[in-house]
Amino acid sequence: MIAPFFKYGLFGDEASLILAFLVGIGFGFFLERAGFGSARKLTAQFYLTDLTVFKVMFTAIITALLGIFYLSWIGWVDLSLVYVPNTYLAPQILGGLLLGFGFIVGGYCPGTSVVGTATGRFDGFIFLLGLMAGIFAFGEAYPLLEGFVNSTDLGPITLPEALHVSYGLVVFAVVALAVVGFWGAGIVERRFAAR
Amino acid sequence: MPKLSTNQWLAVVALLLGALAVVGEPYAGTRTSLDARELAMIVEGRADHVTAPELADWIMQGQTDYRLIDIREDTAYARYHIPGAENVQIRELPEYPLFRNERIVLYSGGGIHAAQAWFLLKAMGFPGVYTVLGGFDAWIDEVLYPAAPSATTPESMAEFERAEAVAAFFGGSPRGAGEEGELQELALPSVDLTSPVIVAPRKKRRKEGC
Repeated sequence: MIAPFFKYGLFGDEASLILAFLVGIGFGFFLERAGFGSARKLTAQFYLTDLTVFKVMFTAIITALLGIFYLSWIGWVDLSLVYVPNTYLAPQILGGLLLGFGFIVGGYCPGTSVVGTATGRFDGFIFLLGLMAGIFAFGEAYPLLEGFVNSTDLGPITLPEALHVSYGLVVFAVVALAVVGFWGAGIVERRFAAR
Repeated sequence: MPKLSTNQWLAVVALLLGALAVVGEPYAGTRTSLDARELAMIVEGRADHVTAPELADWIMQGQTDYRLIDIREDTAYARYHIPGAENVQIRELPEYPLFRNERIVLYSGGGIHAAQAWFLLKAMGFPGVYTVLGGFDAWIDEVLYPAAPSATTPESMAEFERAEAVAAFFGGSPRGAGEEGELQELALPSVDLTSPVIVAPRKKRRKEGC
């Protein structure tokens, strides 16, 4: 049995929706347990007093990175079937800046606003309404934005391809970056929290 | 042994795994093997094909999450092809730039060549391969020139009306109940039929993930 299971037709659309629901609940649960339902905790990131978000996210990234790498290596995952979205350089940079701006102002990012709402936080609920309004506005304005949204298309490019280095080297570099980041985050937190 | 906290131990393990990864080859998992029973089940379960009217619906809805491959001779392709199709000969298939995470729909004149190409791609480890049931002939019979139903129940008439609209979209027209045998003499719409049909460019792949 080789993953990705859906691509190999191990289960159909309906079963995949049920699994997505279960995975989503798990995702939300762990976000909440990490404290991501609180806008205070999330925005503390940007004032460098509490870097939990950074640490949790980076931990998740290297866990998934190592997991997928090793599962592929031993042949349990067929990496060539894993979907790689296209990189649209300019729109994604702008989108990242917009998301960061909204994150600082609103105190949530899209997923955590749902977590906040689920735990009964009013600010999370308002953020969620804004999120929906934004999606609607984007959809309505899409014909105007379409040219920009599809511009600077680099295709489904990955870091090893872009940097011309081996896949394993990128894995090591990201893990090393994370570990150095965790160590640095501890120092930064101690310094800024003291103020 | 230094005294390390749980977090520090995890960091050490991650670093070791990361270091070992430098010599790893993740695409080793990309190998193919044929499971005869699985293939038989796909065929028996009729999960290996789409019908011509289904394909027509996809095209009319502007779906772009599939690649349509015409494996007939290039002269036949030049005369007429299903909108959006790419012409690839069977001998070119192994080298043709198809991606294994794409949905690939094959058609040939009758369907036998497409079925052989289907098997070829399956053997190369492409999971999402389909053929157009009945091939190009079915496209002509069922989409471009649908036959009027023999019985005139409201259901069959409604279905025929729909087929008529689809045929008109692709530049064809329905044939009358008495015209069954004259298929060979029906003129195919000329090639410029493909231009008024708006098929969204292939650039946009299906969006997946978050």
